[in-house]
Amino acid sequence: MVEYAWLVPFFPLVAYLLLFVLGRRAQEGIVTTLAVLASLAGFVVSLSILSQVHANGPSGPYIFHWLTVGSFDLSVGYEVTALNAMMLVVVTFVSTLVLLFSKGYMNGDKRFVVFYQYLCLFIFSMLGLVISPNLLQMYIFWELVGLCSFLLVGFWYFKPEAAAAAKKAFIVTRIGDLGLFIGIVLVFVATGTFEYSGVFQAIQSGQLNIDWMSHDNFVTLVAILIFVGAIGKSAQFPLHTWLPDAMEGPTPVSALIHAATMVAAGVYLVARAFPLFEASPDALTVIAIIGGITAIFAALIGLTQNDIKRVVAYSTISQLGYMVMALGVSAYVASTFHLMTHAFFKALLFLAAGSVIHAIHHNQDIRKMGGLWKKLPITGWTFLIGALALSGIPPFAGFWSKDEILTGALQSGNTTLFVLGLIAAFCTAFYIFRVFFLTFTGEFRGEKDVYDHAHESGSVMTLPLVLLGIMAIIAGLLNSPVTGYAFEHFMHLDGELGQVHEPSIGMMGLSTVVGLLGIGLAYLMYKSKSINAEAMANGPLRPLYLLSFNKFYIDELYHYVIVVPVVWIARILNFVDHWIVDGIVRALGEAGYVSSLGLKYSQNGQVQTYGLITLLGTVLLIGISLYVVIGGIY
Amino acid sequence: MIAVEQYLTLAAILFCIGLFGALTKRNIIIVLVSIELMLNAVNINLLTFARYGLAPSINGQVFTLFTMTIAAAEVAVGLAILISLYRNRNSSDVRDQDLMKW
Amino acid sequence: MFSGLVITGQTVSFFLISLFVIACGVMLLSLKKVVYMAMSIGGVFIGVAGIYIMLEAEFVAFIQILLYAGAITIMLLFAIMLTRHDAIETPQKITAHPVWAALGSAAFGLIILWVVKFSGITWPVPAANSPWQGQDNVKLVGEALFSNYVIPFELVSVVLIVAVVGAITLANKEE
Repeated sequence: MVEYAWLVPFFPLVAYLLLFVLGRRAQEGIVTTLAVLASLAGFVVSLSILSQVHANGPSGPYIFHWLTVGSFDLSVGYEVTALNAMMLVVVTFVSTLVLLFSKGYMNGDKRFVVFYQYLCLFIFSMLGLVISPNLLQMYIFWELVGLCSFLLVGFWYFKPEAAAAAKKAFIVTRIGDLGLFIGIVLVFVATGTFEYSGVFQAIQSGQLNIDWMSHDNFVTLVAILIFVGAIGKSAQFPLHTWLPDAMEGPTPVSALIHAATMVAAGVYLVARAFPLFEASPDALTVIAIIGGITAIFAALIGLTQNDIKRVVAYSTISQLGYMVMALGVSAYVASTFHLMTHAFFKALLFLAAGSVIHAIHHNQDIRKMGGLWKKLPITGWTFLIGALALSGIPPFAGFWSKDEILTGALQSGNTTLFVLGLIAAFCTAFYIFRVFFLTFTGEFRGEKDVYDHAHESGSVMTLPLVLLGIMAIIAGLLNSPVTGYAFEHFMHLDGELGQVHEPSIGMMGLSTVVGLLGIGLAYLMYKSKSINAEAMANGPLRPLYLLSFNKFYIDELYHYVIVVPVVWIARILNFVDHWIVDGIVRALGEAGYVSSLGLKYSQNGQVQTYGLITLLGTVLLIGISLYVVIGGIY
Repeated sequence: MIAVEQYLTLAAILFCIGLFGALTKRNIIIVLVSIELMLNAVNINLLTFARYGLAPSINGQVFTLFTMTIAAAEVAVGLAILISLYRNRNSSDVRDQDLMKW
Repeated sequence: MFSGLVITGQTVSFFLISLFVIACGVMLLSLKKVVYMAMSIGGVFIGVAGIYIMLEAEFVAFIQILLYAGAITIMLLFAIMLTRHDAIETPQKITAHPVWAALGSAAFGLIILWVVKFSGITWPVPAANSPWQGQDNVKLVGEALFSNYVIPFELVSVVLIVAVVGAITLANKEE
């Protein structure tokens, strides 16, 4: 079955093309059925691939000749490693549920079919990215998912915020993509190949075709350049600003693209190219630091946001920071494990948030929610499960993976990172339960009318929630003593990448206590109200509150440091173009126009005038020529 | 004996009369007539050289015949155009026919 | 200009005919009524036919009378009747246009006269005897037309047909 891995992206592609042919007037039921079936077929194939990889180990790559450039052959193909197989299952699983959920969420939208087209195209691109055996093919799909992200964030393009967010997402990630592209080109120059295996071999054997740089520096440079791509795609500090804005897109999109799959592509890329990074301790240090900063930074911002989707978005950035940090401290298995569990519980949180938003007429402000537990029991329960998983409370999924990352950070000897991670875990628990308490408990703070009409969504929306909730509970057990660390053994089918850390009871206890402390604080502040949250925000902590609430002024900083100067340069160039370059052209045109204005009066339409002028001209010519001839003769 | 110069002078005078008429007269018919006058002047020249040229030949007379034929065709078409114009614009004044004005 | 001019019957008739032709031409320019103008052009055509006879082109002179003085003049008269038969060439104000036209025409004529008389060109001295003495002019023209010039002749006939058809089409009232 592994040799049929190409079928997995093939199904969504077919669905995309069929939807494209069907056009906008297709019925919603047919469209949903088609897309879900395609994704489900991909999921089934992925599962069988997973079991086969589990039994026989990774296989491939299956390479086909694509085209020849000069003396170099470009190839395409696919490859299934343990990492790929895991990603395939996760992506297809989440995709199927999100496609199902969208049926309810996007119900009645005018561009319903277009939405499914984009989603299918995205799923195809993401799966293609996962099974790419070489950097070039990966890069092509990498850009394709970026495009789909752009299209879907800007899906409601008639909202100015959505259009601006789509542009921002595209441009900011493009900065990262540029780094990635340079990195890929450098790798090709040095090794003469795009294939992962070839690149790893060349780097490990030290046979690089470069003479302008030492081997170690070159590897560090390339690793960091490729990581820059990951920074952009995975919204790491300092290119994280696009992800919260991307929440302008429909919520299923946020769940699928901006939580579970595409933003994980950066982490996936680093994990996929991990042998390259392992060869450069410096690059790993950079990665660890960036990841750690992102984790704590986003968690701090998340504390004070009021938009339910933005809180979850900042938690996504924070969790991605965790994964990146784990890779940086060589905790490869922990990182990929967190990637998987995060995909489940974060998609769950987003879909649950979407369900809430859908129920109360697309209001996203948590200050206007409250007391929804009675109205939305399934949503409430699943959100609680997701929140617990995110907070790292045993036995939910997040506990096991986060615990491993913290263990890895501590055992790598970098205490600062460990402490940062611990604080971030505390903040995470606090802000997600802040959202939970504000949304589901207490009194409804919005219009009463809306509250009365709020009701649980249909089964197309609750079924994905329940399934993801189950996964959020049990996925963590895959790499626990209960299953004998099955996930770790599975990932090691790719080879012993990174370091394996011994889990310790003390660490588990510590992270659990931290998580419970965060939850407890949130309970005191927002449920029992024994600590006045507003008094704290307006009290001595106000500067800190404002700093967090305004996202550390990063957007403003970028605006004044980058956007404003660029706009001014553009204005100056525009002035030059408009008044000098265009000016010359227009002056010439005007000169022609004005002179023709004067000359046109000679065209009076009178044949006799023309004849007279012809006669006078003839006489003049004859006279001149006679004068010349006679002057010559005499 | 009439010399070549006398014939040529007569032709030149006729030609100039025709030219002036074609350039100044207002009635389209008269303009047409003036052009015929110029053609006649040319015919005189042709016949003069056919008779008194360096190589006298009957060809000059044949050429004159051709000229006259073409002139007749021209008058026929010209008058047809004139009638058509008159019908459309109700005027036979040259100066009223200025559709090609700016 | 008239040096060495011997007064003979030929010269006398030449000057008389010339005077007649030029007088008719000037009348054409100066008369007011369009009908009179058309009549005076008939005089020009007849006079020019006389010049043709003096140039020993009897057949052409005959055609001139037939075609110009006959057909074309009559056609002109018809055209005048069809348009505005009482049309009067209103006296022009002296504007720049006729002055310049007069000046231009005069200059053009003077240049020709200068070339003819004073530029030092030596014109061929006319032979005393006609080059085609004693031969039938019509026969000569006919032979030339139907031997050397047969193709132009046929082409001219095509042109005439086209002109006739075109004239009918143009003058035909649209229905």
